[in-house]
Amino acid sequence: MSRPLSTVLAALAVFALAACSDKPPASPAAATPPASTSVASERGDFGPPQGEPIKAVLTSPPHVPPPIHRNYPAKVIVELEVIEKEMPISEGVSYTFWTFGGTVPGSFIRVRQGDTVEFHLKNAPDSKMPHNIDLHGVTGPGGGAASSFTAPGHASQFTFKALNQGIYVYHCATAPVGMHIANGMYGLILVEPPEGLSPVDHEYYVMQGDFYTTGKYREKGHQPFDMEKAIDEHPTYVLFNGKEGALTGDNALTAKTNETVRLFIGNGGPNLVSSFHVIGEIFDKVQPEGGTVAQHNVQTTLIPAGGAATVEFHTDVPGSYVLVDHSIFRAFNKGALGILKVDGPENKLVYSGKEVDYVYLGDRSEPNLKAVATAAKAHAAGTLTKDEQIAAGKQLFTGTCSVCHQANGEGLANVFPPLAKSDFLAADPKRAMTIVTHGLTGKITVNGHEYDSVMPPMSQLNDDEVANILTYVINSWDNPGGQYSKEDVAKARAEAGPHADPGH
Amino acid sequence: MKHLLPVLALLAVLFGGRAAAAPPLPGDSVYNLPVQLTTQDGQQQMLAERRGRPQLVTMFYTSCQMVCPMIIDSLRLTRNALDPATRAKIDLLAVSFDPAKDDVATLKSYAEKRKLDPRIWTLARAEPAQVRQLSGVLGLQYRQLPDGEFNHSSELILLDAEGRIAARTTLIGRLDPAFVKAIGETVNKP
Amino acid sequence: MRLRLALAWFGLVLALPAAAAEYAALPGGTFASVLPADGKAAAAQVAPFRLRTELVTNGEYLAFVREHPQWRRDKVAGILADARYLTQWAGADDLGEQALPRQPVTRVSWFAAQAYCASEGARLPSWYEWEFAAAADASRRDARADPAWRENILGWYSRPSNAALPAVGGAANVYGVRDMNGLVWEWVDDFNALMVASDSRQQGDPDLLKFCGAGAISLQEKENYAVLMRIAMLSALKAADTTNNLGFRCAKSN
Repeated sequence: MSRPLSTVLAALAVFALAACSDKPPASPAAATPPASTSVASERGDFGPPQGEPIKAVLTSPPHVPPPIHRNYPAKVIVELEVIEKEMPISEGVSYTFWTFGGTVPGSFIRVRQGDTVEFHLKNAPDSKMPHNIDLHGVTGPGGGAASSFTAPGHASQFTFKALNQGIYVYHCATAPVGMHIANGMYGLILVEPPEGLSPVDHEYYVMQGDFYTTGKYREKGHQPFDMEKAIDEHPTYVLFNGKEGALTGDNALTAKTNETVRLFIGNGGPNLVSSFHVIGEIFDKVQPEGGTVAQHNVQTTLIPAGGAATVEFHTDVPGSYVLVDHSIFRAFNKGALGILKVDGPENKLVYSGKEVDYVYLGDRSEPNLKAVATAAKAHAAGTLTKDEQIAAGKQLFTGTCSVCHQANGEGLANVFPPLAKSDFLAADPKRAMTIVTHGLTGKITVNGHEYDSVMPPMSQLNDDEVANILTYVINSWDNPGGQYSKEDVAKARAEAGPHADPGH
Repeated sequence: MKHLLPVLALLAVLFGGRAAAAPPLPGDSVYNLPVQLTTQDGQQQMLAERRGRPQLVTMFYTSCQMVCPMIIDSLRLTRNALDPATRAKIDLLAVSFDPAKDDVATLKSYAEKRKLDPRIWTLARAEPAQVRQLSGVLGLQYRQLPDGEFNHSSELILLDAEGRIAARTTLIGRLDPAFVKAIGETVNKP
Repeated sequence: MRLRLALAWFGLVLALPAAAAEYAALPGGTFASVLPADGKAAAAQVAPFRLRTELVTNGEYLAFVREHPQWRRDKVAGILADARYLTQWAGADDLGEQALPRQPVTRVSWFAAQAYCASEGARLPSWYEWEFAAAADASRRDARADPAWRENILGWYSRPSNAALPAVGGAANVYGVRDMNGLVWEWVDDFNALMVASDSRQQGDPDLLKFCGAGAISLQEKENYAVLMRIAMLSALKAADTTNNLGFRCAKSN
């Protein structure tokens, strides 16, 4: 069946009309190998493909195809099918995803730098929408999008040479692009350097994405896509591998102690940047943004939307290591959480676990506040006695009032007035409640001496603490005696209002 | 009686030939689409009447300033690149996107101005609905603008003798060697 | 004798094709289309026209195929309809149980849709006519500014398409036309005039040569992605293509 229209559409790269412009027609890119003695792992064209065409092995996340053991450029045939399907996005919540290869993220593609990739994009007949693909590893218009626009029930083919090594995002670029990406149309293609990657024990494929539904987080049922939320960048879900729990429980990534793990982490977006962190691990090696220069000893690495990174670390200690986006509300309230379960023998030298659990008493100078507790209980039961109040007040006095008025209520000459046998107190016992709750400034005369100081409001004391302290004070050091109740204090506190002017 | 046999034989050849003539049209032949063309000489012709000889086909319009002159030139260039034997076996057909303006007289004067030999070149018009259908079957796109100009795609299309699209090129303004090769192969297919 | 005559007349009536399809009159006018008329910004002019109120159904298309056997799926030329043409039917002239008579007919090519419309004395609507009619909701002629109008369309896009198609005859819009949005994609006459860049991020790309004249059309009203997706869909198709979700309705000029 001829496809004349796709040929027209695919003409962008080769189309040249001298009459309409004065520029000479563009010749197809014949890349000459770099003149400098570049390391093989820089951008390079290693010549035409050799040997038999190879059919690429594609894998579903979180698995990665095996490393390529080849030392020559080959023709690699990649066949990827777009499938629109309804899948769970969270427990009891379903969503219509548009997928490459039936999964979110889409199948992982692995080729070698210099390979000639013959790319077949198929669009399942059941699909409602046309789709295409833009691979960030492609040098060419639209990253292939111009040449792969495919109606449902059709397939497109285009060929590109993987000139640059690296880990690259691919995604659908059909209008509206944001919606296609938001529905899960992204994945990773790894272009290995010609010398290959260093061997590790495990390689895993993780891709973060933000999702926008009209219903709230975990609202049950089938949820449609919400374009307004996507434009406003208010995601409902932020997930690894397209589903809450995709990498937890039985689906957790696994490794043993004393192994090396490499994670290919992508970020499909469409909007958010990821602050990728594995709780309990430090990345021994990071290729930030998937580039060639490595960084070491990294705690959290940024993965741009439409970008990827490679991280490597060595497992030393068993346990569950949590993969998160460290914009932390996304991890705990939107689902950006995955687990790497490491099994193996403990290594106490590296991490001991909890050694001792000992008691730590709070800040109060009085070690025993039992009387306070007793009074409180009694008050609650309605059986509070004056003696209980006095006992509690005594404990509370120490460390709060005694700092200024001294433990024996004597005060400090010319500075802090005494409470012991205080005529000021006896003249108006009720006034004491206001003084403790609101403070006192200005000249007063107590027991024949003048004091002109500032007592700050004891606002850290609550009503029954004030009642107990005052009951203790009024019954100590030859003061007239009496009792204060919590209710009285509360009334006095409320009545006086802020900054009441104490009478002389 | 002496003449009857040759007469009968002649009749048999005529009618028998007729009956054995056209095998059914292949499903992917553009001649399955009934399109009524009117040439620059005012001749009415069904598109399917071109069956039997390979055709180089394109679509254009006479008032097009930009690329259509190049399309005509490319057709000429391509034809001239063929060897004389192959050249003699193909016809050139250019159908207008713009039947409203491109009536028979306009087509004729265009052909004369550009020195297009009518034995080789057919410039044709069809009714608007059929123009759209022809573009559909050839895989060309076009759109009329408010000022009367057209946006359109530009290709040279090779039909084999049965009307199947055998090759096509978007390279306009210079020769496409791959296309020329394909013409040679199609025409000289046994 | 009278009885026979009456019976004959009755039989004749029954044998006549089903009641002619209903067409609603639409007023036309100047219309801010997502596809500017000059490729840049000009509004579209739509002349008054009539539009079929319902999509063409399996039952109606079956009658057409019986009357025009060159459009049977076992007879049609491959260049006019691809291999999936009418494969949802049980047989070349038999719907079977999966294809219900009142469902919109899908898996039909543009050529097939045109031929059907011609048989009704009609044609396919142009893109502008279609967009004009689809802008309406139940009470307004142009409801496109209403997010609910957009949400309704997007809701359809996000529903998976492996469920059976519902029958035609949904709620009518203000013109009396039904199912413009939310049932199937629809062919338009000038589907191959939607010359948008196949990589939609290249709007404004001055590649004048590809579509000689003005370059690919820059889509206006980019927030009207509901309509943009429809254009994306139509521009991905070729005239002989069929898809599971693509049907059509016809139009008549006044």
